[in-house]
Formats: sequence, structure tokens, C-alpha cells
Amino acid sequence: MKPLGYLKSIMSTLFRGAAADSELDEEFRAHIERHADDLERSGLPRGEAERRARMAFGGYEKAKEGCREQRACFWLETFWADVRFGLRLLRKAPAFSLTVIFILGLGIGANTAVFTLVHALLLKSLPVTKPDQLFRVGDNEQCCVNGGLEGSWSLYSYDLYKHLRDNTPAFEQLAAFQAGQENVGVRRMNNNAPAESRVSEFVSGNYFQTFGIGAFAGRVFTAEDERPGATPVAVMSYRAWKEKYHADPSIAGTAVAINSLPFTIVGIAPPGFFGDALRSNPPELWIPLAFEPQVHGSNSLLTQWDDNWLNVTGRLAPGAQPKQIETQMTTELRQWLERPGSMLTQADRTELPHQVIRLTPGGSGVKSMREAYQDGLTLLLWATAAVLLVACANLANILLARATARHREFSVRAALGASQVRLVRQAFSETLLLSLLGGAAGLAIATYGTRSILQLAFPNRYVPIAAAPSWPVLLFALALSLVTGFLSGTVPAWLASRTQPIEALRTATRATRAHSQWVQPALVILQSALSLVLICAAGLVVQSLRNIRNQNFGFDDDGRYIAVFDPQMAGYKPEQLDTLYHQLREALLQIPGVQSVSYAMYTPMSGNNWEGSINVEGRHTDNDQAVFTRVGPAYFDTLGTKILQGRPITEQDSATAPPVAVVNEQFVKQFFNGQSPLGHHFGPSGEKYSRSLEIVGVSENTNYWSPDEPIRPMYFVAAPQAIPRDTPEDEVSEQRSLYMRNIVLRTSASVPELEKHVRSVLGQINPDLPVMELFPLAQQIQRNLDQQQMIARLMTLFGLLALTLATVGLYGVTSYGVERRTNEIGIRMALGADRVNVVGMVMRTVGLQSVAGLAIGVPLTFAAGRVLESRLFGVHAFDLAIFAVATFALALSALIGGFLPACRAASIEPMQALRNE
Amino acid sequence: MNPPADLLPGTLDLLILKAASLGSLHGYGILLRIEQISHGALLIEQGALYPALFRLVRQGLLKASWGTSDNNRRAKYYELTTAGRKRLREEQDGWNRLVAAMGSVLGAEPEEA
Repeated sequence: MKPLGYLKSIMSTLFRGAAADSELDEEFRAHIERHADDLERSGLPRGEAERRARMAFGGYEKAKEGCREQRACFWLETFWADVRFGLRLLRKAPAFSLTVIFILGLGIGANTAVFTLVHALLLKSLPVTKPDQLFRVGDNEQCCVNGGLEGSWSLYSYDLYKHLRDNTPAFEQLAAFQAGQENVGVRRMNNNAPAESRVSEFVSGNYFQTFGIGAFAGRVFTAEDERPGATPVAVMSYRAWKEKYHADPSIAGTAVAINSLPFTIVGIAPPGFFGDALRSNPPELWIPLAFEPQVHGSNSLLTQWDDNWLNVTGRLAPGAQPKQIETQMTTELRQWLERPGSMLTQADRTELPHQVIRLTPGGSGVKSMREAYQDGLTLLLWATAAVLLVACANLANILLARATARHREFSVRAALGASQVRLVRQAFSETLLLSLLGGAAGLAIATYGTRSILQLAFPNRYVPIAAAPSWPVLLFALALSLVTGFLSGTVPAWLASRTQPIEALRTATRATRAHSQWVQPALVILQSALSLVLICAAGLVVQSLRNIRNQNFGFDDDGRYIAVFDPQMAGYKPEQLDTLYHQLREALLQIPGVQSVSYAMYTPMSGNNWEGSINVEGRHTDNDQAVFTRVGPAYFDTLGTKILQGRPITEQDSATAPPVAVVNEQFVKQFFNGQSPLGHHFGPSGEKYSRSLEIVGVSENTNYWSPDEPIRPMYFVAAPQAIPRDTPEDEVSEQRSLYMRNIVLRTSASVPELEKHVRSVLGQINPDLPVMELFPLAQQIQRNLDQQQMIARLMTLFGLLALTLATVGLYGVTSYGVERRTNEIGIRMALGADRVNVVGMVMRTVGLQSVAGLAIGVPLTFAAGRVLESRLFGVHAFDLAIFAVATFALALSALIGGFLPACRAASIEPMQALRNE
Repeated sequence: MNPPADLLPGTLDLLILKAASLGSLHGYGILLRIEQISHGALLIEQGALYPALFRLVRQGLLKASWGTSDNNRRAKYYELTTAGRKRLREEQDGWNRLVAAMGSVLGAEPEEA
């Protein structure tokens, strides 16, 4: 048929439906009349002629339907009719509809919420131009300052970055940015308000160009801003501008003081851009690398050849081959390492062939958060899928019950001429309607759910993830609704296809069919099995969380507080620090309730540390690595870390006393084979330093990283004891380590307004010395556990949800079974069974179903446990206690679900039942 | 009169096209004409006629138009289009070939030993 004709046909189908129908009627009636006329002419009376003519015509409605089917896009018309009918049905049974939509909404909503997070954290690219052209120079995550050779390099010093940038033309742009996060104090020049702490990041001049980001207001950085001697400028993030400065239009161009240094805000980044990585508390200020020495003062990293603190990402020219560039850059790296004047040791040289650079796709940013959340999100995704399956099974059961009740309606339709295909289509359309409505409800639930999950996972922090659905999320919800509709709808549709038109004439409501008798229990068993698996999985996750929490971390958090401050921000020089620390300590001890005070570079579980090479006297190797931190007197006592041998760092370890160190058990195990290290010596990298520090004590292992990381060898040196170093770089490094950022306090009982006291103490000593944060040590630990806790809570929620759905499903199916067997029960009771027997009969069925659910669930649980065992902390694939609890929960659910219908069965009047034919 | 023969599937369209080729007719008329020219050997199920007519209209082989019939009633008249005429010729040729082939197969005698 010609396309124009076809189009006209479609138009007529869509818009002339009713008119076309009446035309058909007219035509058919005319046909029958003519036939009747002929018959009348051959001698029959009019009435008889008309009857014969009508009978001869055959199926009137069927013929009409046949004609309608020939219209183009007919399926659309029928689909629309089905939808309208379905809506009418739903309106007439509001309780049923709302329940079903709610169940579906929960199932689809949970999945969509988790998918929103999966999409944002694992799938989405950075909001930058052409992310697929971006490549990161490095294939692993390190933070935040590294020294020495890295093997596969991922952090770079500024000099190394410039070398790579200038020698790799295949990268159209190569940008460098600070790997760690930093806080700076920002104050507007025109008022005297105190400085506020803002998250900042040092970046190269071509940072914004590399990502293809223009300015929302003002301008962004250019290569000019990286020249030494340029005017100090900074770019603010859109969110900071909006939230912290209330979208003040005069910001661009204003002068501000950053750490008391004059800067100008030259521009605002566009909304939606949050930097080079998805992380909580993204940068609020970007500052060119050229000004890092000013801000960091003597702690500057920019001119340190050996301090690798920058991540590097760039935009490859089209057509460039990453593998080739990798090889080229590896060569450049080795050339730089071997340049004249580099301080490679003999050991370093042997390691040289292992130093490589690898390129990885950089469009999704630096991956630290992604890796941290990947496992957890995958687990949640599986859990929500299981919940959705349970919801589908529930829905299928409900629809099955309803379809069986409607079988007469379908028989009538079949008798009127509906084909099998038509009936199946109708059944599917109705289910699809339900599932699409459920999907809409699910979207609303998902938005709320995502917001809650974000709050659980990142309490009090901002993460640039939108809770509102984006296009991929909407498509996902739609696809899920369709799949759900299809899965749940197959059973009623299949029933519909087996409709016998003769059923329309039968009055008995005995709609029992052999096949529907096993489908319902099968679905209930499936639900029980899935619930079992979910509950056991939730149990394992909770157990893992408990295991992590209950570890001995090597310190007490009871009554311990940490105050974070920054002497560098206040402009203290290294030689002034010792006095400051003593002042602080004495003043803080005056606060009533404070029992012990000390200070340190890093505190336990802060995730921060300083790792470097060491040289132990007697061990002639250059490969030893250890982590270190500087601490003040009474540090171990304040924290509650036990000293196992020797003594801790005390007051006597002053700047003039011989330099000493306390090492942890791991240190002893690794470098001394468990023998007592007291009296032995070691030092930072370099044979000549191997006698710099004397070991005076051994502390128990303390976790300074995160709860699931292994303990590394660690040593503690006294705050004022700097070791004289040969090279200027080493000296700067050493001096930098003299800055303590944390004060630790031990209090006897809860001290009211502790923060106010501490702030006033610091304020009195120096008004430029703010307390940036004060929190209990327990909170620092908790921050590490936020993610696990969120997952544990969600898993428990999903497990309970699945169990509730399974219980409701069991209740429904058992009620339905009781109703069906009303006759049978009546007969039994008439024959002498008492109520107890009847209840027993019903509960026996329920019990059998539960046992079957258990039987199927056990191997699934075991399989799930195996997978989880490797990802979780200290759990076994088959935990008897958890399994017992889960079985008990399932038994309880069976009891609740089955008992009410059983009681109802027992209260059946035999005569009533027998009459109910 | 010959005993009525069962209609082979697919031949209804051919019959309708042939009947319509002999002049513009309404549905009942087509029915009558088929019965007439087959001398009563082919009886069409009345209900199946109209969907077939609609199908042929959609395929562009027939053209339908409303008009007044002989007894002043409104009727829908069907007539053959050019494409319909062509299809009729093709189907007729195909049918004749089939009949010839079937005939020669069915008329084959057993071979003499």
C-alpha cells in the first residue's frame, strides 16, 4: 500500500474510530436485510426470514472485530481500550490497586534508588567536555604526598609533571592537581569577620582548559597564572558561591585574604562542576600551583623534587594511541629519574626498570570514592533485585487470584469472538498498566530513598550527587516497570489464553484448575527462599560491622577528643613551634575535667599518614618503609595506647636531648624479627642516618588508617626533635614535619562546653590561631564506618521488607486456598473432624511450603555467603547463629501468615460450607 | 447441483477479486455472484467475507465507496483497482498452473511391470 494511503489509514484509525464502527454496523445490517428480503421473496414469513438471515451471517461481533483488525495501527486502538478498561477496574477496587501499586512502588523504588547511586558513583563521567578524551597518568590511587620510587607512578612532583608536560606533545593539555584535600582560612578584605575555613585545591594553570570548563562569571585560570610572579588569583566553585557567599554578585573581582595572604577571586566555576573527582566536600576554591609556596610557607612542596603530591590528567590528541604514549612517558620518567643531580641510591637504580607510567581512562575522575563504594553498592543492587523478585512473585500471585476470579469475564469475551492473542494482550496490558503506575510511585519513593541513603552514608557532608532522577534513572525505572509487568503478567496472561468460552455458561464458581494449584504455592516458596537469603546476608553484613567495630584499635576512645588547628595558618615559624606547643599544653590542662593533653601530626583512623624509607642499623637494605608521626609528651597515655616495652615519649625528649623513637609491634616484627629493639638505632632513608634515632619503647599496634586495612610498621618521634639533614630538600621536609595539626585531649567526664574552652585558650594564646574542628575521637572512627553502617542498615531493611512481603503473600495464598477448600473442610467437619484438625490441616500445608522454601533457600544462602565472605570482615559463609535467627524469622512469618486463615477455616460452619456449592 | 466443495484457504481473496472484476458490487452482491457463477458449489461463510473485503481494500486491490443501492438504501460498493486487476491476473495464472500440475500428478497411471 502506498505510504500516503497508509498514513491516511492510520489517521482514520486514530481519529475516526467511532464513525468507522457505525459504518460497519450500517453495512452489516444492510447485508442482513437484503438476505432477509431474498428469503422473504422465496416464501418465508418476514420474522423467520430475518432470523435465518441473521443466523446465516454468523458471528456478528466476530466479523466486526475481524474488520477492525484490518485497520492500520489497530493494536494501538486495542491497547488504548485495554488501558481505559484497566483504569476503570482499578478505580473500582481501590484497596487492591493501592496495595499493588504500593508493593510495586517499594520494589521498583528501592532498585531505582540504589541505581541512582550506582550511576552517579560508578557509571557517570565527570561533568566535563568530551570525557572520553581524558586520560589519567597513573593507574592507582595514592594520597597524599609520596616520597621515593612508586613502581607504577600515580603521584608526581611539580618538576616531574613539567617534564612530562613539556615532552609529551601527544597530550594536547596536561594538567596537574593536588591529590589531597586542604582547608584554608578565607576572609574578605573589606570586613573584620574572622576567617572561615574553606576546602581548597592547588591546580595547574591549564586545569580548567584541560577539562573544557569555562567560567560562569569572571574568568578561569590560564597558563599565565602559573608563571612565578603572577598576581595571586583564585577561582571559586559555584556551590560555595551560592551557599557560603549567598550568590553575592560582587564576588568576582573581590580581594580576599587566604591564610592571611592577599588574593583576588577572578571567577566562578559553572554549576555542576565539582572538580576532578567525585568526593564528599569537593573543593570550594581552586588556587594556581604558583602560589603554593606562599600559602604553605616552609612546608612548600612545589620546589621539592622528591615530594610527589600531584595527580596528573590530560586530554589526548585525537588519533593518539594510549599504549604508545605510555611507553613514551615511561621513558621520560626514567630519564627524569636519572637526570644529573638526582639523588638516586644504589637500591633505587636497581628498581629503575620497574618504574612505569600507565594511562587509564580519566573521564570519570580519580577513583577513590568509586572503589570504596563499589562493593557495597553491588551488594545493595543484588539485594534490591531480590526484593523486587519477591514483590513480583507477590504481584503474580495476586493477579493470578484475580484472573481466576475473572475467568467468566474472559470466557464471555472469548465467546464474543476475541482471539487468544487478543485475550493475552489484554491481560498483559492490564498488568503493564499496574506496573507503570507502580513505577511512577517507585520514582517518588526512589527520590526520597536516595536522599536518605546519602544522609546515612555521608552524614554532615556534601556530596555532589543529585537525589532527583536524571534521564538514565528515569529510563531505568521505566525498563524495570516493563520487566516487572512482564514477569508478573505471564501467569495471568497464560491463564487468559486457556480460556474456554463454554465456561461463560457455567454457574459454578469452582474455578479450580490443576495448573493454578501449583503456581501459587511455588511463588510463595520462591518468596520464602529469597527472604531467607536476604535476611542471612543482612545478618552477615551486620556481623561484619560489629567485627570491625569491636577490634582492638590500639587506643581508647572513651572521653577522648581531637582538636584540629593549623599553626602554619597563623604564621608560626618552625623555631616558634616548641614554645607554642608547651603553652597550649599547659593552658589546656587548666580546663577542669581535662586530664591529659598531647599533640600529634596525625591521629588514629584519620586516614592520613606519612610514609617514607628508613634505614635500620644493621640491616643493609634500602627497601625498608615505615610510617611515622610526631607526637608530644604523654601522647600514648592520653590516647590509651599501651607501651609494651621501654618507655613512651616524654617531656625529657626535648630539642636538645638525643633523638629517640617509639616503634610499634609491627615494626619490631618486620625489622627485628620479634627481638627486643630497645637500644637499637635507625633513621630516615640513607645509610648515614641509620644511627639518628634510638629506639626507647615499643607500643601496641594502633590503627592509623581505616578499620579494614592492615597495620603497617610505624614509629613515633618527639615533636621538637628534628634530625639535621644534608640536602635542602630533606631539611625542608624535616622542618615541615614539625607542624602539629592535632591536639588530643583526655577528659574524665563529659565536659560541658569543651569546645568553647578550647577555642578561648587558643584564642588567648594567639587570635590568629583558630580551632578548625573539635570532635570526639569516637566520631573519627565512626566516619570510617559510615559506609558499612549504611549498608548494614539498608540490608536489614531490605531483609525485613522481603520477609513482610513474603508473609503477606503467604497470608493471601493460604486465605485463597481455604476459600477454595471450603466445601472440603465442610465435609470433613461434618464427618467428625474438629476445629483443631482443621487448623492442623491448614498449618500443615503452610509448614510444607515453608520447609520447601528453606530447602531451596539454604543452598542459595550458602552461595551468597561464600561471595560475601571474601568481601566482608571476619565472617564465615555459613554462620549457624545467623541462620538460626533467619529460620526463626521465617517460621514466625509462616505462623503469622498461616494462622489467621487457619482460624477462619476452623470457624467454618459445616452446613454453610456444604451449601456453598 | 454439485455437492458443495470446501474452500481451500487463501482462495477466498481470489474469488472476491474475480467477482468484483465483473462489476462494482456491494458485499451481499459479491456473495451472491460467487454462489451464482460457481453454480452453488462454493458457499462462503458470510462472516468471513467482510474482513477479507477490508483486507483487500487495505492492500489497495479493491476500492470502496458509499453509494445508493437499487432499493434506495445506502450501500458500500467495492470495485477492482488497477493493482487489483493485475493481482487477479497473476493469481489466476498461478491457480491454472497449480491445477495443471495437480491434474498431471493425479492422472498418472501405475507403471506397467
